[in-house]
Amino acid sequence: MKAKKAPLTPEQRWKMTRRRFLIGTGSLGVLAVGGYFGLNEGRPAMVDAIEKSGASRGGKMPAPNLWFELKLDNSMVFYAPKFEMGQGIHSALAQIAAEELEVDWKQLEVRQADSSKGFDPNIMFTGGSTSVQDLFTPLREAAATMREMLKLEAAKQLSVGVVDIVALRGECFARQNVSKKLTYGQIVAAKQTEWDVPKEKPNLKARKAFTSIGLNAPRVDVRAKLLGQPVYGYDARVPDMLYGAVARAPRYGATLKSASAGEAANQPGVKQIVIDLKANFAGVVADTRTRAREALKFLNLEWDGGTSMGQSEIEALVTARDGEGVVIKKRGNVDAGIQTGTQVSAEYRTPFAAHAHLEPLNAMAHVQASKIELWVPTQSTSSDMKGVQAVVGGEKREIVVYPMQMGGSFGRKGAQSAALEAVRLSNAVGKPVHVGWTREEDIQHGFFRPPSHTWLRGSLGNDGRINALDQVTASGDILFSVIPIPEPIKNLIGFDFGVLSGLFSPYEIANYRVRSHRVKLPIPTGTWRGLGIFPNTFALESFMDEMAFAAKTDPLEFRLKHVPATEDGARLKRVLEDVKTRSDWATLPESGRARGVAFSSLGKTLVAQVAEVSIFEKRIVVHRVTVSIDAGLVVNPANAALQAKGSVVMGLSSTLLEKLTVKDGMVEQANFKQYPLLTLKETPPRIDVNFLEGGDTPYGMGEPAIGPIGAAVANAVFALTQKRIRELPLEL
Amino acid sequence: MLKLEINQRSWDVPDFQASEMLVWVLRDTLGLAGTRYGCGVGVCGSCNVLIDGVPKRSCQTPTADAVGKKITTLEGLAKGEGDKLELHPVQAAFLENPLQCCWCMSGHIMNAVALLENNPNPNSEQIDNAMNENYCRCGGYNSIRQNVTRAAEIAGGRS
Repeated sequence: MKAKKAPLTPEQRWKMTRRRFLIGTGSLGVLAVGGYFGLNEGRPAMVDAIEKSGASRGGKMPAPNLWFELKLDNSMVFYAPKFEMGQGIHSALAQIAAEELEVDWKQLEVRQADSSKGFDPNIMFTGGSTSVQDLFTPLREAAATMREMLKLEAAKQLSVGVVDIVALRGECFARQNVSKKLTYGQIVAAKQTEWDVPKEKPNLKARKAFTSIGLNAPRVDVRAKLLGQPVYGYDARVPDMLYGAVARAPRYGATLKSASAGEAANQPGVKQIVIDLKANFAGVVADTRTRAREALKFLNLEWDGGTSMGQSEIEALVTARDGEGVVIKKRGNVDAGIQTGTQVSAEYRTPFAAHAHLEPLNAMAHVQASKIELWVPTQSTSSDMKGVQAVVGGEKREIVVYPMQMGGSFGRKGAQSAALEAVRLSNAVGKPVHVGWTREEDIQHGFFRPPSHTWLRGSLGNDGRINALDQVTASGDILFSVIPIPEPIKNLIGFDFGVLSGLFSPYEIANYRVRSHRVKLPIPTGTWRGLGIFPNTFALESFMDEMAFAAKTDPLEFRLKHVPATEDGARLKRVLEDVKTRSDWATLPESGRARGVAFSSLGKTLVAQVAEVSIFEKRIVVHRVTVSIDAGLVVNPANAALQAKGSVVMGLSSTLLEKLTVKDGMVEQANFKQYPLLTLKETPPRIDVNFLEGGDTPYGMGEPAIGPIGAAVANAVFALTQKRIRELPLEL
Repeated sequence: MLKLEINQRSWDVPDFQASEMLVWVLRDTLGLAGTRYGCGVGVCGSCNVLIDGVPKRSCQTPTADAVGKKITTLEGLAKGEGDKLELHPVQAAFLENPLQCCWCMSGHIMNAVALLENNPNPNSEQIDNAMNENYCRCGGYNSIRQNVTRAAEIAGGRS
C-alpha cells in the first residue's frame, strides 16, 4: 500500500485521509521524534498533529483518460477506482463525475477499474469512510479537465470562440446560436489525433450550480444483483476452474509441524494436494467445493504451538487502570482538578466481535506463465498482491487484480484476503482455482474487533459542570496489526492509531487527560467498521450520562451545557438540538419506555442519536432511533441515509447480541447459531435520519453513525430502570 | 445424470453430486449464482430457493432431495429477455428501494415471492413473521419491510 515518493506539486497531492496519513506518521514521523526520553511529553502533540494536519498521502492523480472513455456514439465509460460493498460508492462517484463533465449521470456506464488501469495503490483502496471526501476534488478536476478539452475542440470545430461554447448534457453548443452544436462523441469523431491536456486547473462549478451532486440518483449496481448476475467475488467464474480448500490451525499462532497427503489424495474429485510446511500451508484442489472440503479432512496434519489463552486471561490483560498507558491527550491539570467537587468513576468493557459480512472471504487466482490474474472482493488491491510473487517464484510476472463486488466487508476485506491461498493452489495445479471460505472459517480465522476496557473518573464542580476528566483506555491492536513497522517501534509509540477514532470527549472540560494502554494479544485483531469509534463511544458517552445523573441534570441539556465555544462546538450544538427536537425529547415517551442520547464524531462527521427503549420479557426492545448527522455536503442523501440506518442496525446488533469468547486459543463461536446477528423483528421499525448539511465539502459517511448507538441504548435502559450496564452486549 | 427442474427448465447434474448441498450445485455446477451462500447451517437464509413454491434453505437441501420437484431461483423470477425483460414485482420493489451490499437479497426476495403467492395483501405483522428468518448484515430490515408492501402494490396494479 506504499506510495511512490515522487516529488509532487501541491495540486497533485491528495487531501489526507486519516488512515493513510497515520501510516505515514507511523513509519516516518515517530522515528523523527528521535528519542525514547521526551516521547511521553511529545505524544499529545503527535496526536494533535495527526488529528489536525492536512498533510499529503502522496498518491498521484491519474490522467483523465484513465478515468473516462468517451465513445463516438456519445456514451461514456467511467472507471471507478473505488470498490463497491453496498455503500453506493460507484453511484456517488458517477454523480460527482457527471456534474463536471456536464452529462446526465445516466450517460455514464460505471465500470470497476482493475489494478492495471494505472491508479495509485493508495487510491485503489476503499475504507475509513474516505472515498467521497478523498476523490471529491480530484475527480471533479479530472472531469472538468475533460469538459474543457471538449469545449476547446468544439470551439475550433464550430468556428466560435471558446468563451461562447456551452457544455450541457453531453453536448457543446454555441451560446449565440444553439443550433450550432456537437455531441461529445461527434467532437471526438472529428478529432482522431492527439489531444493536449491543459496546463491550468479547470474552474469547478459552484455548489449552487450543482444539478447531479445532491440528487438521489438510483444505485448503478443493483439491477445486476437483482438478476443474479455473477458480480461478487464468490461468484467469480472462468472456464476450466477448480475449487480449493485450505487447512486451518486449531489455535491462533499454531504452526504445521508435519503434514502429508494421507488418504486425501485418493478421495474422489481430488486433483492436487498442496503442502508447504514453511508457509504453514496445506490445501486441496478438487473438481467441486464440497469434494475439496471433504478431502481436507483426510490430510495428516500435526499442529504445534500457538496460544492456549482463554477469555479470563484476555480480560485481565485488557484492563485499564489508573496510571496505566501512555498519555496521548492533556489539557489543564487533571490530578489537581479531580480532587475538587463530586467524584464519579466507572469502568466499561466491550468484547471481541466479528465482521460477519454475509459473503465469506474468497478469491480466485489464475497463475499463468506470463501473468497472474486475481478476482477478489477487496478493499485494497495492493494488499491482495502482497506476497504473490514470492509464492510463485521465478521471473517477475504481471499481477492483475480484478476487484469484485463485496457482499459486505466492514473492514475485513481490506487487510486480509484469500488471494494468496488461491495463488498457491493455482500455481500448483496450473489452472484457475477459487477458494471460498466457509462461515466457520470466516468467523474463527479472520481477525476481530479487539476487546476494550475503559476506566473513567470525573469530577463535578459546584456549577454542575465537569471540572476534570481522567480516562484510560485499554484495547487490542487495530491498525498496528496491518501497519508494517517493527514491534519495538510500536512499543515506543505506545498507542495504536486506530484506537483514536471516537476516543476523545468533544465537550468543554478544562482539565482532561487521556491515556491509551496498548495490549498486543495473541488473538488476531484489526479493523472493524469505524475502528475504535464503537467501543470508545460506548464508554465515553455512557459516562457522560453518569456525570449528568450525578449533576442532577437532563443528559441532553448536560451535553449542551458542555459544548465548546468553537466552530466545531457550534456544529455539535446543532446536531444535539436537532436530535432533541426530532426525537420529541422534551415530551415523555409512552408509558414503559425511556430515551437515551449519545454523540460521536469521526473525522469531521458528527452524529447524535436518541434511542427509545422498553423492556419486554426481560429483553431490551428498541422502538425508535433518531439520528442527526452533519456530514458536510451530502452527494446522495438516499444512499447516505442507508449507510446511517445500516450503521445503527449493525451497532445495535453489537449492543444487544454479539460477543466472541476465546477458549484454549481459539474463538469458541464458529457460526450464527452461537453468534446470532440482529434480526428483522429486533430492528426498530423507526430509524429516522436527518442530514444537517453544511459547507461545500463532503465528509465520511460509511462508519460514523455506528458510534453512538451502544451508549444511546445503555443510557435509555438506565433512564428506564435506573440500572447502569457497563458491558457490551447489554445484559439486564 | 440427475435431472433437476429449475426455473421451468431441465438441468443435468452428475450423479456424484446427489449428496452435495443444492446451493453449491446451483452456484458452481450450474452457474446460477443468484442463490447465495452465507452460513451453511440454515440460519442466515441467503441461500433460500423455492421448492414446490415453499422457501427452503438450499444449504440444507441435498441435491437428491430436489429431484422431481419444481425449483425456483432468483434467475427464474423475471419474465422475458433483453429489452423486454420484465422484473417480478418483488424485484421491482427492491430495485426502487435497494438494500446495501445485496448479498442476502435473493433469500429475502424468495421469501417475499412465496408470501405474496399465498397472501397478496399481507399486513405488517404477517410481513414481519414471513421475513424474520433471514439476516441482512447491512441492516436493511426496514427497507425489506417496506419493499414487501410495495411489491404487493405493484402486483395488485396499484403503482
